[in-house]
Amino acid sequence: MTRRTLFGNLARGLGGLALGSLLPSSLLRGNGDAGLGRLPHFAPKAKRIIYLFQSGGPSHIDLFDFKPEMRALHGVELPDSVRGGQRVTGMTARQDSYPFVAPFWEFKRCGQQGTWISDLLPYTQKVADEITILRGMNTEAINHDPAVTYINTGSQQMGHASLGSWLSYGLGSANQDLPAYMVLLSQGSGKNPGQPLFSRLWGNGYLPSNYQGVKLGSGADPVYFLQNPPGLDRAQRRQALDRLEALNRVHADEVGDPEIHARIDAYEMAYRMQTSVPELMDLKDEPASTFELYGEESRRPGSFAANCLLARRMAEKGVRFVQLFHRGWDQHKKLSAQLPKQCKDIDQASAALVMDLKRRGLLDETLVIWGGEFGRTAYSQGKLGDPVAGRDHHGRCFSIWMAGGGIKRGFDWGRTDEWGYNILEGGVHIRDLNATLLHCMGIDHERFTFKFRGLNQRLTGVEEARVVKEILA
Amino acid sequence: MKTAVSCALAVFVLVIGTVFWIRSGDKDVLVFQAESVQFNRDIRPIFSETCFNCHGPDAHSREADLRLDIAEGAYAALQGGGGVAIAPGDLDGSEAWARITSDDLDAVMPPPDSHFTLTDAQKDTIRRWIEAGAPYQDHWAFETPVKGPLPEVENADWARSPIDRFVLARLEAEGLSPSEEADRRTLIRRLSFDLTGLPPSLEEVRAFVADDRPDAYERLVDRLLASPRYGERMALAWLDQARYADTNGYSRDGLRTMWIWRDWVIQAYNEDKPFDVFIREQIAGDLLPGATPDQIVATGFSRNHMITAEGGTIPEENLTNYVVDRVKTTSEAFLGLTMACAQCHDHKYDPISQEDYFRMFAYFNTLGDKGIAGAGGINAEPTILARTPLNHDDIDRVKENLDTLIEKRDQKAERLLQSWEAKERERLAARGEGLTLYPLKPLSANTPNVPLTQVELRPDNSIFLKERSAKRGVAYSFAMALANGVDQDLTGLRIEFFPHADVYEGSLGYGEGPNKGAFGVTAVSISSGQVPVVDFDLNSEIPVVAATASYSHPDYPPSGVLDPRYPTVWSPLGRTKEPQHLSLTFAEPVDPQTTPFFSVMVNFQQIANPGHFKISVISGRDDGTSTPEVIQRILNTRSEDRSEGELAQIAAYHAEADSRLGRLNTEIAIHRNRLREMTEPYSTQVMDTAKDPRRTHVLHRGSYDQPGKEVGPGVPAFLPPLPEGASDDRLGLADWFTDPEHPLTSRVAVNRIWQLLFGTGFVATSADFGSQGEWPSHPELLDYLAVEFVESGWKVKDLIKRIVLSSTYRQSSAVRGAIADSDPDNRLLWRGPRHRLKAEFIRDAALKTSGLMNDWIGGSSVKPYQPRGIWREISHYGSVKDLTQVFIQDRGSNLYRRSLYTLWKRTSPPPSMMAFDAPNRELCVMSRETTNTPLQALTLLNDPQFVEAGRAFAERLLRDLPEATDRERLALAFEQVTSRPPVASELDELVEALKEQRDYFEKDVARADAILGVGESVRSENINAVEHAAYSVLANLLFNLSEAITKG
Repeated sequence: MTRRTLFGNLARGLGGLALGSLLPSSLLRGNGDAGLGRLPHFAPKAKRIIYLFQSGGPSHIDLFDFKPEMRALHGVELPDSVRGGQRVTGMTARQDSYPFVAPFWEFKRCGQQGTWISDLLPYTQKVADEITILRGMNTEAINHDPAVTYINTGSQQMGHASLGSWLSYGLGSANQDLPAYMVLLSQGSGKNPGQPLFSRLWGNGYLPSNYQGVKLGSGADPVYFLQNPPGLDRAQRRQALDRLEALNRVHADEVGDPEIHARIDAYEMAYRMQTSVPELMDLKDEPASTFELYGEESRRPGSFAANCLLARRMAEKGVRFVQLFHRGWDQHKKLSAQLPKQCKDIDQASAALVMDLKRRGLLDETLVIWGGEFGRTAYSQGKLGDPVAGRDHHGRCFSIWMAGGGIKRGFDWGRTDEWGYNILEGGVHIRDLNATLLHCMGIDHERFTFKFRGLNQRLTGVEEARVVKEILA
Repeated sequence: MKTAVSCALAVFVLVIGTVFWIRSGDKDVLVFQAESVQFNRDIRPIFSETCFNCHGPDAHSREADLRLDIAEGAYAALQGGGGVAIAPGDLDGSEAWARITSDDLDAVMPPPDSHFTLTDAQKDTIRRWIEAGAPYQDHWAFETPVKGPLPEVENADWARSPIDRFVLARLEAEGLSPSEEADRRTLIRRLSFDLTGLPPSLEEVRAFVADDRPDAYERLVDRLLASPRYGERMALAWLDQARYADTNGYSRDGLRTMWIWRDWVIQAYNEDKPFDVFIREQIAGDLLPGATPDQIVATGFSRNHMITAEGGTIPEENLTNYVVDRVKTTSEAFLGLTMACAQCHDHKYDPISQEDYFRMFAYFNTLGDKGIAGAGGINAEPTILARTPLNHDDIDRVKENLDTLIEKRDQKAERLLQSWEAKERERLAARGEGLTLYPLKPLSANTPNVPLTQVELRPDNSIFLKERSAKRGVAYSFAMALANGVDQDLTGLRIEFFPHADVYEGSLGYGEGPNKGAFGVTAVSISSGQVPVVDFDLNSEIPVVAATASYSHPDYPPSGVLDPRYPTVWSPLGRTKEPQHLSLTFAEPVDPQTTPFFSVMVNFQQIANPGHFKISVISGRDDGTSTPEVIQRILNTRSEDRSEGELAQIAAYHAEADSRLGRLNTEIAIHRNRLREMTEPYSTQVMDTAKDPRRTHVLHRGSYDQPGKEVGPGVPAFLPPLPEGASDDRLGLADWFTDPEHPLTSRVAVNRIWQLLFGTGFVATSADFGSQGEWPSHPELLDYLAVEFVESGWKVKDLIKRIVLSSTYRQSSAVRGAIADSDPDNRLLWRGPRHRLKAEFIRDAALKTSGLMNDWIGGSSVKPYQPRGIWREISHYGSVKDLTQVFIQDRGSNLYRRSLYTLWKRTSPPPSMMAFDAPNRELCVMSRETTNTPLQALTLLNDPQFVEAGRAFAERLLRDLPEATDRERLALAFEQVTSRPPVASELDELVEALKEQRDYFEKDVARADAILGVGESVRSENINAVEHAAYSVLANLLFNLSEAITKG
């Protein structure tokens, strides 16, 4: 077999997903020569990413982006100069008044640098010294579908590859028994149902489809069709697979097609997944202290807290990219009632994940990201003071936090105006964020490309994107 | 122009050098190392990749005003008097050469920050080209193709057709030989999958093997091309390109009805509609003089794009996106051009200006569509009502079958009536046995979009809704606690509704007008757990199997609650002044100790909200019934005392209600629906022209809110002009596409057909024939076929027949090691095609082989098995009225339709299809990847569809061959799956495997019963369960063979 045949197999057949052991060690890293340079391009700070995606648009102004002077501005009509003819969604475009709404909750100065974090997030307040808060995030998208597609795939249009599939394509897997890219979903209790999700968010786009995220459910079949049919036990399956392999080998010898060997190996990995995935999902071996740390909710399968715990277990097993999608952050209405619940869903477990990774010595090599697709308006959607009122979508600025793998500890980056409406300094476009994530994984986003429809596609697209060096440790 | 190309081709044919692989981007590509360098073949790919980004067609990003894609640009004096970039024949006088070879990081080209580099081999090619006079050529694909002379070959006997001459000449030039012809079994299998998407039957294989007529092969080809399965197979590929789906996509992704268009495609292929007509009708069928309904239906091609109903989106922006998608799909599918790149700026590689782009845009911007549309399962305008374009010749057969089914059902019903009545009376009498209600204490409530102050949780455990409308908050969720000390198993849940003075004239609900005082319950979802959770949790759902109520309105029976979709509701309409209750029975009793907390989500999506109600769990038997009062009365009347009318009434009720008649009733419903769909009109989205069409502007950076200069429709200047007299609408555009002189349409079409059969087209980048596209593997053959295709009247079946009759196609696909190393992808066609089957073919093959397949053609899409909760997990269920938010599996023969007919939901496509590389149908896809993953293995091993197919296949084997030995049966089974008999060692493996499986099941017969219970088709009880189970595993194992999912 020539080197090229191997590469061919790798790209089309096995990918980084399976069977590293059959390949020379130089290829274990994935598509070593994908794009315009070898991967990783330089020594990575992070070996893996856990992305706690908050779907719907968390209200930055009520959670992270506070200034004391905001209190005095409550009810003040947002000046046109601040709004600056901004595109607003169809939901508030016809409002005749845009009164500023101060954050509904109290804030505390947290950590050594005294960063502001809302009292809605008491546990996050306690990990302030571990995280970097970015308050200058921004995006052009103002509606969910394009915005969430944009931040996850680098484009508002369909058809592009998700961040996780890029990483899986580029770096392959560090685990032969589990997929390189796993996705966990949860429904928030702030707004139920939250905005819908779509498989494209963890899809492969133009990349080969073996790089798509594998969605893990919480039921008996966490991966589709993982369980043997009823009545067929594992030993029996083993024997049948052995026979299958023997038959496939007879045929492979006859026709000489290397794809058959790849298929044999895929069956072996499937068989291993039948135990590795349930082992991963089985929390029986977790001590009570784990559930204390993550909160009682973590005992409930399918909750955000349980998914955080699973994410840590996956990190331990070397899964390259774990992405949680937590729905329900879309507080157009009833923000005052919904946001506390939504925060309660995520606060303890998100902070616990950071602390848990830290105490296990994994935080340095694991990059954790917490954030959504955009923020929410400083002005009220609906009448000021009406319990039904909320905030509309806002892409000009929003806040996220990051921790671990190559990111500064206890750091703030980016500043907005007193209205929490426009960025004054430290703006980070979502492209910049993606460039930075790749950077932490040892990848130069400009050189990490895939040729499709005549273009060298890349996660950060064709526009300028910059690695946010300021937040790197 | 033609002469020039002929010359170029002649040169090409004469000058044949050696072939080798070079790296281009992330791919290895096949290139010629020819004696003379040619711009198109050798230079353009290098320049396109590394130079055109800054020195190409895009004027806005052009650096130093230098363009290298055309001779005039390259030879022109450089800005600032630095000589010329390319001086023909003069290496030293060529500034480009100096820059390419420079060591100076500030001067070297391409610049380091571009991350592009030139290899030594590429530099050498450029050197030789400049030395040879740096001749430019127009891009090959933009020149009208001409038929060149057939090349001479040594092994003339091998060549059956011109195709073979071209292929062989190329092979011989490489010193390679073609493979021997594949055996007949391989050939019929290959042809059957390629032309019909299905494996051949055993009988077909054996007949073909035994057919010693000289034209046996051609007869086979003709038979397959004439099969209606051909149209289905061809349609499948077209659906990928046309991004066909049954839902609207975007966030809400509700149901749409487009299957009439899908049926049009099947019909078009089956009647071999000439490809130019196929294009014309899809692009502009509505504009044809005297357009027929079918021709208007065809324009649904341009309406298959996604449509959003998301509130808050901006209609103008959405409309722009829709047109962008039409332009992208049309240009990729018909022209092989990536025009989409020119939306925001001039194309970087092809001479398509942004203005060209918007002129194309203008053609597709004149319809009367709306920016936010398609909610609630209502097709987005414009639409028409149309009958299926399929020529169904089996309407009478379906009618007959329906009559037979009804007769069968009625006969069976007559036999069962008495026993049913007895049981029903017994059941009614036993109602309420041991019934105890345990009120659940509401701890907290949740609802989207309605203030919680509108929901009162009262100390007496009741709940009061002040919110009247069922529009704003359609779902209410409650965290509820069971009191301590309950020790009976819980059998169900009851909601009691009470009239209240504050609710519509002291009624139960807030309904107004004709709904006075009523409310409607769409669905109730229940989950339970150890901790109080306000929101219903899909992961711990308690399934409900029956619903009864204190009162059953004929239009709103309690069974409406069992279907979670919004159109079916229970309502006590007409009895709204007295208390009513709704009771749900759990599938399995629930232990109160393990589940002290419940989450109950009630949807009031229709009519109105109720006012005052209370939720309890129950033990013992429900005292309610779904049996209407009038039926209860008749049941309690002795038979001889019943009137004629009553007898008829109860018989009619029984025929629907007796679960033992369920299967027959399902089939009756399916057949009735089938007849309707064969004969009655349905809505389908089409193109039209608005009364006051939108105007088209060049959009700055492609953004809808930055309009620039207004433009009218037109075609890019580098392609031939519109034909004489072409109208400036889509019909004119269609005339242009189908102009015999058009350089792209026929090439792209032929390339696509080749790709369908060989896996890869001559141009591997089948959606990109532009500068960045790959140089064709057999340019002269591509052109030859393209010209033939047009000359023969764009007949697709003829083209396919020509190809599959060739020696090239008939080659064995066995991989010969030595050549495999130099050309692993078989681009030189030294062997026959060999590929893993498409997702749909894999499932269809299992359905056919097992005998489960329902071979109906066309009709609305169906929902075979999918994992539980699959749509609801990601959808907007409970918040919007769109359909397809919650997956309800179909039953009966709808489970076994060809995969082409599986309902395609864009945001959550069928996992068994996605595992095998199906695209999600959000966008035009010209070719699918083929990967090899563990998820594929899990699907084939464990998906109920494949487990059931194994069971049904096993049943066939055991039933049809009752006397045979295991060995004989397994040999036959193997042959049915792979189209060839097994060799001895394979058969030994199978026999041993069967023994092993049989041992397992013999030890524990219950396990045999368990696996035989997978799937909803009826199992013959006459077959020994252990035998059946063991054979089922073996049959499933055969479906998992690499060979079973490969076209060899």
